[in-house]
Amino acid sequence: MSKTVSGPIPLEHRTTDSGEIYPGAIDLERVRQAHIPLYEKREQITADGNTAAAIATLQMWRCVIFAGFPITPSTKWIETVASHIAGPKGGKKRIKLMEAEHAVADYLAGASAACRDLIFPTATSSVGLDHMTETTRSLGASGLGNAMIIDVYRATANYPLCIEGDPSDALAHRDDGFIQISCRGKQQIYDTILQAPVLGMHPDVMTPTMPGYYGLKDSHRNARLIVEPDREIHAFQDAWIQPCPLPGLINGDTAFGNCVTSRWFQGFKLAQKRRLERVLELLPRIGADFERRFGRPGLAFFDSTEWPADGAADLAVVSMGPDFGTFESVREAYAAETKLKVAGIAVRLLTPFPRDAVRRRLERAKVVLVVNQAHHSGRGHLTLDVADALSDLARPPRIVSAFAGLGGADVSQPTWERMLEHARGALDGGTLPPWALFHEGVEL
Amino acid sequence: MKPLELSQILTDSVLEIRGDGKAGGGLVLAFQSLGNLYLRDPEIHVQEWPFFSSARRGANIRSFLRISRRPIQAACEVTRPTVSVLMDEGAARSVDFAQGVPPGGTFILNTRHSPEECARHYRLSGRVFTVPGDDIGVKHLKAPIGNVSVYVTAARAIGGFGIEVLVDAFLQMLKKRHVPQAVVDRNRAALLATAESIREGVFDEQEPGRHGAASFAGYGALPVGAQTALRLSQSNRTADYAPSGLRLRFEDPDVKCNGCANCITNCPEGIIRWVPDAERGVLVTGVDVSTFCKLCGECIAVCPETLFKELPFEEPWEEVVAS
Repeated sequence: MSKTVSGPIPLEHRTTDSGEIYPGAIDLERVRQAHIPLYEKREQITADGNTAAAIATLQMWRCVIFAGFPITPSTKWIETVASHIAGPKGGKKRIKLMEAEHAVADYLAGASAACRDLIFPTATSSVGLDHMTETTRSLGASGLGNAMIIDVYRATANYPLCIEGDPSDALAHRDDGFIQISCRGKQQIYDTILQAPVLGMHPDVMTPTMPGYYGLKDSHRNARLIVEPDREIHAFQDAWIQPCPLPGLINGDTAFGNCVTSRWFQGFKLAQKRRLERVLELLPRIGADFERRFGRPGLAFFDSTEWPADGAADLAVVSMGPDFGTFESVREAYAAETKLKVAGIAVRLLTPFPRDAVRRRLERAKVVLVVNQAHHSGRGHLTLDVADALSDLARPPRIVSAFAGLGGADVSQPTWERMLEHARGALDGGTLPPWALFHEGVEL
Repeated sequence: MKPLELSQILTDSVLEIRGDGKAGGGLVLAFQSLGNLYLRDPEIHVQEWPFFSSARRGANIRSFLRISRRPIQAACEVTRPTVSVLMDEGAARSVDFAQGVPPGGTFILNTRHSPEECARHYRLSGRVFTVPGDDIGVKHLKAPIGNVSVYVTAARAIGGFGIEVLVDAFLQMLKKRHVPQAVVDRNRAALLATAESIREGVFDEQEPGRHGAASFAGYGALPVGAQTALRLSQSNRTADYAPSGLRLRFEDPDVKCNGCANCITNCPEGIIRWVPDAERGVLVTGVDVSTFCKLCGECIAVCPETLFKELPFEEPWEEVVAS
């Protein structure tokens, strides 16, 4: 009499330098089929920044599990996502509510490593991001480009407490290893979140992403938002995202699990830096493809306004975030009044900082006014980056450093006019302080 | 003084609107609804956002709205609004809701008072709209909340949409939020009732120098630890956080206070009055509600003799003789 013995069915797998890879362990086609579209056609809706972020993540078929820890009032991302998932279009998507931000980051690491072809997003802010720090630095080095932390910028200098939006939280995490992209306006928030994982998951990059936007100023600001049909979003992402060539848990190339000697440590860091530098080549290509498909500007190193054809602006402003729009609202009148060529850029790619592109844009400007919006013990984070970008020039433009909007303070039109006037002093060769803080049209 | 034409401003430049109210009082929803309404016109651009701090329900908040037929670039706060909204008169105890409004601007107040009374009381020059939104809220929505009424009144003041569209836009928004049909129906009734209750008039009561835009003269000295003084109630009128129309009262005619001191130790504002007492240790004699009582309810919750109560309170209305 014969006896049948059933045992585990071995999964198809192969061996790589980074460990065993099991390509069929998760049936991606079933995941894709389980997605219930939010939008069948392009629509215009009203949304604030947090809602735009939530919709973007919900529309991706590769986003299945949404881990988070509520951090109201900065972001209601997890609440918005949970509300949708509880509704008729939630389908198989699931919320994973964690007990703390650190746990969220740990969960992202585990989930992202378990399936590198899916996207695992979360959203946080300020000290929430700080609480994740131990893991974000591991994540940044992990090669897990499918992890995405959406950061709602809020002051991290938590004494005194201030809940409004300034980017000091993101700037404090410049070296965590994430690709950091700053957004302004809900359309840019939505579009950026759709593109960020495409960039992070590229096999040459494999670096997690951290799109960010200003608390209150953008997170809570309502306006018109154009949402794209899910199928178009999927077509865009699937054209770029290929099956990850590496195993789920990469022992060699990750900070998880292994302890290496210093000799090897710096080798891994070198590889990490090189992957990050590949962002500078890929980001414009992804942005261009997005623009071709959807008709709106895609990812870019910075937004530009009113650059003279020869690049020779008298006064060039470098800033970031929604307050740059207020500069744009005063620029024309100020330029006409002073008869100066006034232009500006709003930086979008914070990390890696696009120093070559910034240098090319600013090299013929006479004076560069850098407006920093986060506390810094020196001349400002952005100023240091711009100064570095211009340092190769034989005759670099003069850099004037300003602070405004710390803690999310309002940056009014009189404040912009006062800052421009301050920088104008450098055109005549005047002596200016290393930095100055401005508020309500007053230099402090 | 000639009233400013709002629809013209909306077409030629940017119509800027600012609202003052209290957290939880419906101001944000009223502004979101207005923004949503004007976004129905594909030619119109809208920007709407609230400003609030970490303070609790009842604290003063602001909302901002820009509407224009041109793309809106400015992202800064609205400091010289053409339209000013006062959702809760209690909020006006802390801020000048008319600050920076040019002569001829539009004022929208959620109040039982008439436009003429409000113009005199607050010294307003321009078009003044009043609506008893809280009363309408109580009648139809079972809560003294005036967001529906302020929405309708502001939309009427700005113009561009008939009442049918106003009602439809608001109800559509509620439906998107999966609000139960019974609540939608009650809101419909409140919307329609508001249309019958709006009063308006044009007045010129502003005195020279009144409601001027705020000027900033720097921070002065901020020594280490100064943030403590900024945060504590001794410099913040926390009584302004209290819901309007209610006030704490302490009554102990039979001297029931047993000296447990629970109210004294639990009051976050230190406003319980007491005297040393040989038998009880302390005897509570009253409570100073004038400046710092935000009606948190701690004393009510901990008093074993139920000597503290939250009672309706009619805000004194100062009738100012027109100058």
